[in-house]
Amino acid sequence: MTLASPTASGPARPVARRWSFTRPTEVTRILPLFILVVLCFDVPLLVALGWSVRDPKGPDPTLRHYIDFTTSPIYLPVVWRTIELAAIVTGFCAILGYPLALWITRLSAGRQLVAIGLVIIPFWISILVRTYAWIVILGNAGVVNRTLKELGLIEKSIPFLYNELGVAIGMVNVLLPFMVLPIYAAMLRVDSRLLHVAATLGASSFSIFWRVFFPITLPALSATMALVFILSLGFYITPAILGGGKVPLIANMMDMFINRLPRWELASAVAMTLLLVTLLLYAGYQWLRSRTPA
Amino acid sequence: MTGGRATFGRALLAAYAGVVIFFMCLPILVVVPMSFSSAKSLRFPPPGWSLRWYGSFFKDDRWLDASVNSLVLAFLASTLSLILGTLAAYAIVRGRFPGKRLIESNFMAPMILPPIITAIALFIFYARLDVLGTFGGLIVAHTVLAAPYVVLLMTIAIQSFDIRIEQVALTLGASKLQMLTRVMMPNLVPSALAAWIFAFIISFDEVIVTMFLSGRYFTIPKRMFAQLMEQINPTITAIATLLILFSIVTVGMVGLLMHRAGLLKPRIGDARADVR
Repeated sequence: MTLASPTASGPARPVARRWSFTRPTEVTRILPLFILVVLCFDVPLLVALGWSVRDPKGPDPTLRHYIDFTTSPIYLPVVWRTIELAAIVTGFCAILGYPLALWITRLSAGRQLVAIGLVIIPFWISILVRTYAWIVILGNAGVVNRTLKELGLIEKSIPFLYNELGVAIGMVNVLLPFMVLPIYAAMLRVDSRLLHVAATLGASSFSIFWRVFFPITLPALSATMALVFILSLGFYITPAILGGGKVPLIANMMDMFINRLPRWELASAVAMTLLLVTLLLYAGYQWLRSRTPA
Repeated sequence: MTGGRATFGRALLAAYAGVVIFFMCLPILVVVPMSFSSAKSLRFPPPGWSLRWYGSFFKDDRWLDASVNSLVLAFLASTLSLILGTLAAYAIVRGRFPGKRLIESNFMAPMILPPIITAIALFIFYARLDVLGTFGGLIVAHTVLAAPYVVLLMTIAIQSFDIRIEQVALTLGASKLQMLTRVMMPNLVPSALAAWIFAFIISFDEVIVTMFLSGRYFTIPKRMFAQLMEQINPTITAIATLLILFSIVTVGMVGLLMHRAGLLKPRIGDARADVR
């Protein structure tokens, strides 16, 4: 068994020799990317942090930009709308994604590959392409409205686009693969012996699912929901296209602060707040993931 | 009997899953036929068929210009991130040094943060350095964004490459360089190729950071976004179809390469494989 995992539990002596032998080269290998990421990612974030507390009128740092956007009657509704929409989108992704992942795990190995392929292909296709298609599908003269009219179910087109409904549909469509793939992976890791034991002990398939399988996969489900929620907070493309400027989210507001108003301080303050929220949620995600059976 | 109820439940689940898969694939199912439409309107199904939108894509210098920019940018950024990311992944897997976990998380951060944050930070930074709107600045930004995917994939690939093979090569008298070029590299080629394609797609599809930093340079996604904001032009469906084709080919290639590299094994098929 010691041979099988030399890095984890190998004998101490060779490891010690490797250390002194490889240490300088390992550092030189990691250095190029490290320098790049520090200079072109970490430093810019610190610069933005600096701008977020910059007082245009004086040399002292100020928190007024943070106060500005958290109390403003114009900006605050955008923040709330983003959070609300992100929550709705995450909920729908879970409702649609969990049963799909469950169904895939019950297919034969070959069919699983096909089904996962169908989930992965949209995942790879440009978000612009996927968003664009919804204009064709949901527009006033789109597929859905015309079909409903021809069936005589409606007389006037239902306005799906340029409101929160359209943005939500587009976001759920983009985010579903992010939901399905991790949950599917987690479901595969569930020890099937547990389910067998439950069945042997006389549990119905209903109670096996709700009392054994679902609780085991719940941490993975919540972790993935946290991830999808993080992703929805930063959405820019979908609200811009399917919202038609009427449903701006935080990211669109940040765009406006940079490209239209020039208020870099305010943009930086929003970016830093979003950064903090993202990091907190991500910590929660990691914690939930650590509770998932490996 | 509960058998009937279980069968019914299974059929219900299958129907539900079918609807969800249909919903996921619906954009593709609509865009591809639309691109062959003869009409100027966004009618679906199209009233007639033609290749006019492909013609108007290949005849438009602005689209061709954007394509060249996108391809050059994605090629350079993915190659750079493959080199830097693979070196870093090797150090992460085999090396022991203080702060390794922290450095690794730092590498992953551009992948996790919403791109709008990165876009704003880099916009301000580049503006202060006066490199906003330069192609070099774009390459650097895309390299930072694509590198996490390379590090992630190559870390798994190097981890699954048995360290004893390296040790044997060294014991048998191979120099460190020989071991790397003759033993390690040939084994890592499929994974590296998969990581390179992944990085290429990440860069090729990137919109938000590109829009903030690119100035007068247009990439395909940036041009698409600009067009979508002003008017609906069916030329976009032709480009979209070409991009879908491109995605399916690349996802197939990556799948094949990862399968050959043995990276897919623990995931699909045998649920017990990674329990060990």
